[in-house]
Amino acid sequence: MKKFLSMLLVTAMVASMLVGCGGKKSESGSDESGNVTLDIIISQYGNYTQEWWKEFEETFEAANEGIDLNIEIVSWNDIYEVVNTRISTQEQPDILNISGFADYVTDDLLMPAEEYVSDELQANFVPSFWESNAIDGTVWALPILASCRALFCNMDLLNEAGIESVPETWDDVLTACQAIKDTYGDEIVPWGLDISTDEGQAAFAYYAWNFGGGFVDDNGDWALNSAENVEAVEYIQNLIDSGYCNSAPFTDTRYPLQDAFSAGTLAMMIGPMNMVAADSTVNYEAADIPGEHVALGVCDQLMVFKDEEAGDARTEAITKFFDAFYEVETYSDYMVYEGFLPATQDASANLAENAEKYIVGGTEDTAGNSEYFATFCAVLPNCKFYPMQKTEWMDVRNGVIDVEQQVCSGTTDAQTALDNLQAEVAE
Amino acid sequence: MSKKNKALSVVQPYIWLLPSVLLMVTMIVVPIISVFKISFSEVGRSGLIKGFNGIENYVEVFKQPAFWTTLRNTFVWTIAVVGLSTVIGFILAMVLNQEFFGRKIVRAVVIFPWATALVIQSVIWKYIVNADYGSLNVLLKKLGIIDSFVNWTGTAQSMFAWECWVGIFVTFPFVTFCVLSGLQGIDAALYESAAVDGAGFWSKLFKITLPLVRPSLTVSTVLNIIYVFNSFPIVWTISKGAPADQTHTLVTYLYKLSFTEGKSGQAAAVSVIGFVILAILASIYMIMSLRGEGED
Repeated sequence: MKKFLSMLLVTAMVASMLVGCGGKKSESGSDESGNVTLDIIISQYGNYTQEWWKEFEETFEAANEGIDLNIEIVSWNDIYEVVNTRISTQEQPDILNISGFADYVTDDLLMPAEEYVSDELQANFVPSFWESNAIDGTVWALPILASCRALFCNMDLLNEAGIESVPETWDDVLTACQAIKDTYGDEIVPWGLDISTDEGQAAFAYYAWNFGGGFVDDNGDWALNSAENVEAVEYIQNLIDSGYCNSAPFTDTRYPLQDAFSAGTLAMMIGPMNMVAADSTVNYEAADIPGEHVALGVCDQLMVFKDEEAGDARTEAITKFFDAFYEVETYSDYMVYEGFLPATQDASANLAENAEKYIVGGTEDTAGNSEYFATFCAVLPNCKFYPMQKTEWMDVRNGVIDVEQQVCSGTTDAQTALDNLQAEVAE
Repeated sequence: MSKKNKALSVVQPYIWLLPSVLLMVTMIVVPIISVFKISFSEVGRSGLIKGFNGIENYVEVFKQPAFWTTLRNTFVWTIAVVGLSTVIGFILAMVLNQEFFGRKIVRAVVIFPWATALVIQSVIWKYIVNADYGSLNVLLKKLGIIDSFVNWTGTAQSMFAWECWVGIFVTFPFVTFCVLSGLQGIDAALYESAAVDGAGFWSKLFKITLPLVRPSLTVSTVLNIIYVFNSFPIVWTISKGAPADQTHTLVTYLYKLSFTEGKSGQAAAVSVIGFVILAILASIYMIMSLRGEGED
């Protein structure tokens, strides 16, 4: 009998290999009395996301009788899993805040933005942001916020190593790295590099764009194996082989690198505009990325899922929701809370003048002054964005990370790896 | 016994078993069926199931070189971690079975690596071996053993070796305590008799100790094979399969396929393959156990 029980136990544990999926029933739509419930999933950007949206929900519901918001804040670690599970069980939210929308368009799950966005709001978006969410001329999502990447240099370390100004060319970078290495040895890491599965595609974008290459050609077709891209990947490999980078670029995400930069143990890295910790005493300068000086813009989206059974009341409620969220004061407040850049023109102008009046997360010690917004809001329209509107984007994203890791671990050479990726994507 | 009571006595065990059976059906059987179904379905990147697509997911998985690297890694990982943990755990159990001052404290300390959450252990080890600021490099440099920092995880092989070490570190205490419980059940008179007969250390080990702790070792080995084969946190926390999918095991690979690449159908196929492998291993254990029972 004991043997039988132990075998039963073993069988159950083996079976556990397959266990793991689950779903949650959500309730959205309009009831008999005409009340509308909007089921909304928002990505967690920081410690104050939950708090801000709770307050927004209360204010919105008080001002819009008959509309009930059911807002769920989900961390970036879990959001794709949560959303995919809900879609597979046909319980998708009404409104979703996430990065990327092409797969949902492919599966015919989204409403075109023009069906629920008021004309005033549409005219208010920064045109490049609005257009970046279009596939074949139809806009499928709204830009919720943006951020751009720049080169950050610890000037005290560079000056001590004999480098007087921030590097402007890729050769300057190599010179500065060698100078730092000669001066500080093991104590300081010259160049921060993240080619991990978390954000290795960003590294590819920094180098490829600024060597004159990129993801797509002028016609918008994939051009992953261009000579410029090969040169860019070989440059990354050279940075590692020369001992200029953090020792674990395959697994180091940008967060520990940002911490190291803020602590003064990393001399240079490319990162988001709000990457330096508020309490850091590092004397740093943010500058254009070397080479072609193209900055990477990152823009997340809000999108609306179709609901064939819901009537006009739902669409009207969604329009009201977006009008309330993008209202200049509300939206400016949210941007300062989260430390990102706005995607609307009136909020950009407002924050370039009045950012100080918005208290960040209940304290005043976080970044967010008017000069900061004026500088980065001016840069943002010229940033390049990932080609997220292309349906192969996720394969390309994972593919370029794989290429970087293969080449930098010595598995293959840059030309072969990029040729293989181009062939795979073209299939 | 009345007819009514007789009927009740027949039904009663099944009533008691019903909650457990229902729980197993809803929490284990239903998801298993679901995963099998998904593995034969076309699933969109957004999670939408679009219909039956035969064995296409399996074909796609088998076409990927990363899958075969992962499969090889999984066997290396399981054999290395379970094998070395068993050897280390057995030796330590022999030591802890001896009388010495502070034995209770040492026994308590040994349990820590096993009792601590795997993610915490993995994060700690990740920082210990980090070449830029890890304590291992700092310690070795201060002791004058190295002149400059060593990149302990610079290659896929070294990264995977460290992951195996972390696996061994968190697994051997379980073996130690399983074996220790077996050792404490051995009558000391057996050793005394053997000593009188002139048996040395090795004779006692192979003729008395090993045969008598075999049931404990079997339990710990079988359970460890299942735990280690299915272990996710160590590899995911330390490397996430990097560089270039060279340090994945089946579980982390299927997680990446599903939640990073959005290929749920292929992930389900890998899951089924893992299930089949474990089912074969468990069957071998069952057959061996039943044979052992027959011999007894």
